[in-house]
Amino acid sequence: MTELVQTLVLSLLVGGVYALVASGLTLIFGVMRVINIAHGAFLILGAFITYKLWDQLGLDPLVGVVITTPIVFVLGWVIYRLLVRPIRNAPMSSTVLLTFGLALVTEGVMGFIWGNDSKSIRPSYVDQSYHLGDIFLPKAQVYGGVLAVLILATLWLILTKTWLGRAIRAAASNPASAELVGIKVTSVAAVVFGLGLAAAGAGGAITGVLYTFVPGSHYAWIARLLAIVVLGGLGSLEGAVLSALIFGIAETVTAVYISPAWATAVPYAIVFAVLLIRPQGLLGTRLRDDAVAA
Amino acid sequence: MSHVSIRRGWKAVALAAVVSLGMAACGNDASSGGSSDSGGGELSIGASLPLTGDFSEPGSAAKQGYQVWEALTNENGGLLGNQVKMVIKDDASNQNTVVTDYNALISQDNVDLLLGTFSSLLNLPASTVAEKNQMLYVEPAGGSPDMFSRDYQYLFFAQQATADKQGLVFADWVKNLPADQRPKTAAYPTLDDPFAAPNVDGIRQVLEEAGIKTVYKTTYAIDTKNFDSIVAAMKSANPDLVVHGATFEDGVSLTRAMLKSGWTPKMFYETSTPSFADQYVKAIGEENTEGVMYAVSYSPEADTPGNKEFVAQYKKMFGQDIPPEDAADAYAAAEVMQAAVEAVGSIDDQGKLADWLRANTVPTILGDLSWDETGAPESDFLIGQWQKGTAEIVLPPDVATADAEVGWHPGS
Repeated sequence: MTELVQTLVLSLLVGGVYALVASGLTLIFGVMRVINIAHGAFLILGAFITYKLWDQLGLDPLVGVVITTPIVFVLGWVIYRLLVRPIRNAPMSSTVLLTFGLALVTEGVMGFIWGNDSKSIRPSYVDQSYHLGDIFLPKAQVYGGVLAVLILATLWLILTKTWLGRAIRAAASNPASAELVGIKVTSVAAVVFGLGLAAAGAGGAITGVLYTFVPGSHYAWIARLLAIVVLGGLGSLEGAVLSALIFGIAETVTAVYISPAWATAVPYAIVFAVLLIRPQGLLGTRLRDDAVAA
Repeated sequence: MSHVSIRRGWKAVALAAVVSLGMAACGNDASSGGSSDSGGGELSIGASLPLTGDFSEPGSAAKQGYQVWEALTNENGGLLGNQVKMVIKDDASNQNTVVTDYNALISQDNVDLLLGTFSSLLNLPASTVAEKNQMLYVEPAGGSPDMFSRDYQYLFFAQQATADKQGLVFADWVKNLPADQRPKTAAYPTLDDPFAAPNVDGIRQVLEEAGIKTVYKTTYAIDTKNFDSIVAAMKSANPDLVVHGATFEDGVSLTRAMLKSGWTPKMFYETSTPSFADQYVKAIGEENTEGVMYAVSYSPEADTPGNKEFVAQYKKMFGQDIPPEDAADAYAAAEVMQAAVEAVGSIDDQGKLADWLRANTVPTILGDLSWDETGAPESDFLIGQWQKGTAEIVLPPDVATADAEVGWHPGS
């Protein structure tokens, strides 16, 4: 019983971080129908920025989120204006190619600036845990998980309780009508792209504490993140959160009760199984063929 | 020009810029080869390394090793009287790319000689390209036994032993410990990797025969991120000894997961990860390194031919006192290739270079290397141990810089 509780607790802590990072990816797709292959690269960029803030200034990596996130947001906004917007009306394969190129360039630039050697962020609590009887709760994962939930809650509040959120949802569901009621869909899209990447940057600050990373670490992340958002339903924030938790639980439970060798395969098998029954994902809706891009 | 065409032009420019920057980011610095083995010209030596992707860490170190060899060789008059030029491509840690790269090195860059890439995973397909083209292929880091079961004629591994034999010195030491110090149980988590897994299996077989009970054994995939579950399972089994087959990131992650869980074994042996010197210390904290043991091919302190020159040149070029093991292995691979070329005196028939290596022993900065018919090396590996923040060689005793100590003491 202890092992099961321990497994579930660790699963939820991992799933919370997955949810934060995946939320940005699904948000970008939901509004712009852009599959951002560079999302994992910006997660690693967030980790590198956090590393420098911690290494050079001694800033706690999780506190550093308040600096990392705005930096990546601005970067996302600029990238949208310069690169994504000009090909928004091109077929989706063009944006996939563009963001794939962006991922490669970002990896190259990170390698050029920070080198290709592995980086580790080690705040004082990194090897410590809270102990509840036989259960251990790694402090870094607890803090990271709580921070991820806070950021996700903020994102949810922005989307549901603010004018910007209403504009985003309007632009996502019907861009043409949104324009008619005075919403500048292009501006909204730029903000969404920035927000999406900012979520990746914030996730990078947290994952940088949990795992070592090199510029090329983004490949492993983007595969996992795409599976999560597809399982949850492309464009659905709630779906991404639910799917991330399922993914985290599937990975950890498989590792403990079947074999770690299957831990990365079983979640993908679940994705296949769900898509056979619900091609639109758990909480997704079927895409409108007549949707007009911003 | 119309508004539409301006927009199209802008898109084309943007895409072209991205593609070209992407290609630049891949790090190819290939140049056309030009050959001469009669002296006074330039010999080009091609290699593809994982400079990006999962193996970028050791791949970058291997590149440094090749660059140091290039600089020192040219400083000392070159190879067969020719200046040498390394042509290094980035395979992005990808098996398909490494095959493309070696084919391009041979058919487009027209290199005169080849050197190997990093990891068994990449050397397996890359060595096939060399074999088909009948070119000598000395590789610095591909110790899987699978490499040498294919009866290749041009393949040579420039370390002391294949992966399955690299931990045997450690295993023999453990089984001969006094009864009160000898572990009674052991756990064997390992990465699903053609280098790490045979290394761990080799140790496990010896220890099981010696009566040390295996209480946990598992293999995990390369993209495993979460090691807490593996540690939770090991914690339940509570082994005295953990033998971990790792590369780098997974080695750090498992160690940190053990520390976080509050459970650590009495003894800890790990492949590869602890040999990354500064990066290892930064990743797990110096206070947690005390007593960790590992197999290693190279010691910066070793009194081997050319080692002082290698260490000095490495510091001159890269500003670090201690060259990483992978840089030294790459340098040694180039030394082996160089020895064969100089002994044969020509590179026209590279079968002769291979024949010469099979029949001779080559002194390198790793020590004397010799090979069997398959190109597998036939020497003993070194065993290192972290003691008081320093990486010491503790086994075999005749080359040890310190005595081996029993126990892992994290937090000390």
